[in-house]
Amino acid sequence: MLLQLFLNGIIAGSIYALIALGFTIIYRTVKFFHFAHGAVYAAGAYFAYTFAISLHLPFVLALFLSAVMTAVLGVGIDRFVYYPLRLRKAPNLAFLIASFGVFIFLQYLIAIIYGNRILILRTWPVKEGYKIFDAVITPTQLMILIVSILLMLFLWLFIQKTKLGKAMRAVSDDPLAASVVGINPDKIIIASFAIGSALAGVAGTLIALETNIGPTMGWPAILKGIIASVVGGGGSIPGSMFGGFLLGLAENLGMWKIPSAWKDTISFVILILFLLVRPRGFFGVKPEKEAV
Amino acid sequence: MEYLLHILVIAGIYIILTLSLNLIVGYTGLPALGHAAFFAVGAYISALLALNFGISPWIGMMLGASFAALTGIVIGASSLRLKGDYFALATFGFAFIIYSITKNWVSVTRGPMGLPGIPGFTVFGLALDSTFSYFILVFLFVLITIFIIRRIVDSPFGRVLKSIREDEIAAESLGKDTTKHKLLAFVIGAFFAGIAGSLYAHYITFIDPSSFTIMESILILLMVIFGGMGSIKGSILGATILVVFPELLRFLGMPGAIAAPTRQMIYGLVLIILMIKRPQGLLGRFRFG
Repeated sequence: MLLQLFLNGIIAGSIYALIALGFTIIYRTVKFFHFAHGAVYAAGAYFAYTFAISLHLPFVLALFLSAVMTAVLGVGIDRFVYYPLRLRKAPNLAFLIASFGVFIFLQYLIAIIYGNRILILRTWPVKEGYKIFDAVITPTQLMILIVSILLMLFLWLFIQKTKLGKAMRAVSDDPLAASVVGINPDKIIIASFAIGSALAGVAGTLIALETNIGPTMGWPAILKGIIASVVGGGGSIPGSMFGGFLLGLAENLGMWKIPSAWKDTISFVILILFLLVRPRGFFGVKPEKEAV
Repeated sequence: MEYLLHILVIAGIYIILTLSLNLIVGYTGLPALGHAAFFAVGAYISALLALNFGISPWIGMMLGASFAALTGIVIGASSLRLKGDYFALATFGFAFIIYSITKNWVSVTRGPMGLPGIPGFTVFGLALDSTFSYFILVFLFVLITIFIIRRIVDSPFGRVLKSIREDEIAAESLGKDTTKHKLLAFVIGAFFAGIAGSLYAHYITFIDPSSFTIMESILILLMVIFGGMGSIKGSILGATILVVFPELLRFLGMPGAIAAPTRQMIYGLVLIILMIKRPQGLLGRFRFG
């Protein structure tokens, strides 16, 4: 029983970690809470559905195309909504409210296009799971776990080793200094939105294999992603992944003692505890000093 | 006519909510994202007292609003240690926890099934049972709220709030205890939201958690911003327009399955366009950014 809860926690955690990772990559460069990331995640699932089910493309291709489309969507949101705000040097509250606006707009756009009914992406029959002692993990879950861990490793190497990754870190630390040495912060913002949103698209597609997809799936997802990111340490890449797994485990191991109706509440209690006791999270370097 | 009065009663309740949030967000500059929590506390406390102990809605309203204020003290005192987005996130988190309590503490709140049959207000033994009588009642409360909020924002205390919004460090350097002022503004806002909650519960006679979601908080915030932060007239206008507008969509003859998401989509679009084109809202004087 406990082992099964642990496994469930790891799998849920891997999806949370992917969302948190994408969110954090964007947060690092723009320094505001991009709530619309949740709608991008939901759009990822629907793009994958359109490619795989409506257009009968192979799943791997649909996954790839969905990542490309969400990257375009993410960059589009930045260009059409956040860029004008940035030009005006709008305060964080304006970005926050605009991101809610984008989230609501996209979520209901999806609801109008696809309807409120629940869709199923998986085309293959459910296979019997592998048994590990008394716990069961299905091949789909195993695939979700492997793909997300590979992506996280890949992203980590990308940020640490490549030129673009280093430029992204530079802009995150000090945009002014970065522009002095010839890095165009605007290009880095576009790159962050593209990469972060593509990750959300992959996460949305992967979760669609495990559960059904509906227009409102983005809301709980982005809340978990933001909580994971804050708990891990606002802006820390390994922190956001750690936070994702921590949330997944806390929620699922919590089910051992707490009725499952309270599942979503657990992560909010963790959020409040962290905000009050350690606002910089696990891996955060310094306390946040932000003006409204 | 009955229908029009009903819309006006709902608009009145939202005007109280919007004014109370405007005190927090518009006048003091605190990005609070969980106002529906206080609305919920006022509604549930007042309804539960009336249903379980037969307590008069008038006393229930005062107790509900006081409980909402008490909740405001707890949430405010802990969240105000954080700044900006982190403050917003904390109020958001608290609001979600209150929402989960209304949804999951089934033995008391009946959870998603809601509380039906909440008794209405009585005046000198006469039950207020027509929509018109509630219109008068809510109208009176709107006037009281406008009067008190206006007195607050025009007082020396209100000037300190506005100075905190403009430049907190400057206010602090003049010897003002900014934390105390912010907390007080937050708690007063929570109190009035509690009153609105009680009015809502006893008017509709049924409450369930779906009226107190995070989206509800965002809707109230939208009303404040749309009307104009730091403007009382703006809050009245913003709340009225955003309550009446969805009803107009109904008259356009849109099928319900399309009308509901279309309305939400327009809300989203309005938020985006406001932020980009007119962040001070319709009548706001305080232009943030």
